[in-house]
Amino acid sequence: MQLKRKKVSVAEVRIASAWFYVMIKLPKETLFYRKDSIENKKERDLAMTENNGSIIVDHLTRDYGSGKGIFEVSFQVNSGEVFGFLGPNGAGKTTTIRHLMGFLQARAGQCTINGMDCWKERDKIQKILGYIPGEISFFDDMSGTEFLDFIGKYRRNPADSRRKELVERFELNPQGKIKKMSKGMKQKLGIVAAFMHDPEILILDEPTSGLDPLMQNRFIELVEEERKRKKTILMSSHMFEEVERTCHHIGIIRAGKLVALDSVESLRDRYVRPYTVTLDTPELAEAFAKDFGGACEGNRVTVTTKQSLEEIFMHYYGGDGNDQ
Amino acid sequence: MINKTLYAREMKKSIKLLVIFGAIITLYVSIIISMYDPEMMKVLDGFAQMMPELMAAVGMTIGSADLLGFMVSYLYGFILLIFPMVFSILRGNGLVAAYVDKGSMASLLAAPVKRRTIVCTQMAALLSGIGILLAYSTGLEAVCVQIMFPGELELSKLLVLNLGLLCLQLFIGGICFLASCAFSDTKYSIGFGAGIPALMYVVQMLANVGGSAEKAKYFTFFTLFAPDELVAGENSAAAGVLVLFVGAVLLYCAAAVIFEKRDLFV
Repeated sequence: MQLKRKKVSVAEVRIASAWFYVMIKLPKETLFYRKDSIENKKERDLAMTENNGSIIVDHLTRDYGSGKGIFEVSFQVNSGEVFGFLGPNGAGKTTTIRHLMGFLQARAGQCTINGMDCWKERDKIQKILGYIPGEISFFDDMSGTEFLDFIGKYRRNPADSRRKELVERFELNPQGKIKKMSKGMKQKLGIVAAFMHDPEILILDEPTSGLDPLMQNRFIELVEEERKRKKTILMSSHMFEEVERTCHHIGIIRAGKLVALDSVESLRDRYVRPYTVTLDTPELAEAFAKDFGGACEGNRVTVTTKQSLEEIFMHYYGGDGNDQ
Repeated sequence: MINKTLYAREMKKSIKLLVIFGAIITLYVSIIISMYDPEMMKVLDGFAQMMPELMAAVGMTIGSADLLGFMVSYLYGFILLIFPMVFSILRGNGLVAAYVDKGSMASLLAAPVKRRTIVCTQMAALLSGIGILLAYSTGLEAVCVQIMFPGELELSKLLVLNLGLLCLQLFIGGICFLASCAFSDTKYSIGFGAGIPALMYVVQMLANVGGSAEKAKYFTFFTLFAPDELVAGENSAAAGVLVLFVGAVLLYCAAAVIFEKRDLFV
């Protein structure tokens, strides 16, 4: 008996240590904080100091008054990760991105990229950063080619190793004046301008708006390739499919507050609903289980519904109140 | 300190305006200098006597005996004040505020270029434009005078006069540039950048009319540029020009600091 009990306890110890390992390891490896662990500042700080190859937003607050602005927003994006930044219009996505770009100075909290302060060291950060603005507005007086030439020289980065490849990939004809370009054309130009110097960090504010489905697809492929090349990518979007296909982690912001922060899988798992149905006979139950993909147990069948990401997002987006 | 690519772009954008204003200045300067004629002076003085307020308002006064005095009366009261000023207003606004307003400033900021470099480049573009315009008009005046009335004018006095004018125009440019850096909305940047110099000029016109309105001269910086006194070599006029120069430097510095520190919603 005693021997047996000892064996069990060894197993228990193993399980416990495995859990411990997971708990310690998880935040470091994924470096992503579930909403419920955001409060755990100690853990967060530890993890944040250990990895600086990333975008870190730490308790960023910007109060525009009357409930507008962003409040205590914290998240992190690591290299080789695509972070989907979602939220209704006016929720604070662009405000957060403006802080990361060094356009706005943080009033409280801070944000860093690769350990550099986004406001003080913005010019150093920009060296390794590619940005697609949410509202594309280039120099109307230039043609697309002139603009790309200008940006290359202006950045003192005339090599622009990927320009030709990207122009071909997105079937962009940059000859015409930007003024006369359609929204989608300008968006393509913005994509080329953001990616052509092969940056390590990518901040993409609604990058596929205005693109046709074919080009959206190509863009998603591009993002996936970049992720594999260990780039750090933050992408705001409204397209569920796009997010589902590209992002591994998601932050949902609403009325300036981060309301969800998790990996796509666990976000989905959280919204799994099991139903147990009792049928008259085991045969019927088996047929039912077959038809609805449930687990059969006697004449009881358990079926689970998985909500689509879209529904999950709607859950966060919805509700009344004016989102700002 | 400045980004050559951006500077080249801005100068390219300035060229059209420079050509237009250069042409206008060429027209006026050459015609007015050619009009100089002691006989003609009497006619103009006659006009001035008939309607002194109107003539004085645009800076044309009686008794500009010599050629330089004539030029001061008919060029430095209106044409050479207004056209470079309009250039400063248009370009000053276009160099910073227009980019911020349209959102294309994002393209300039999203690059490894310091904000200080951006603002200094834009400033350099504005200063170059003003400099080119005034250098051109100075050269033009010198050439016209040499061709039409050789030996009637001391070039050193003309240079002093134009140096004073340059300081005034730099000061006006400073106001425009500061307004451009301080406001995101072109509505306000033009409102202040154009409004203040224009208002000051109107006050100056009022003060020129004389009488009790003369007190208005204490409320306009145009008073600091006193061409007649400057040519006569009066210390007070030199001091006025110096104040304009120092003021201009302060305005540009303030503009640069504000642009560097402020939040840009682009």
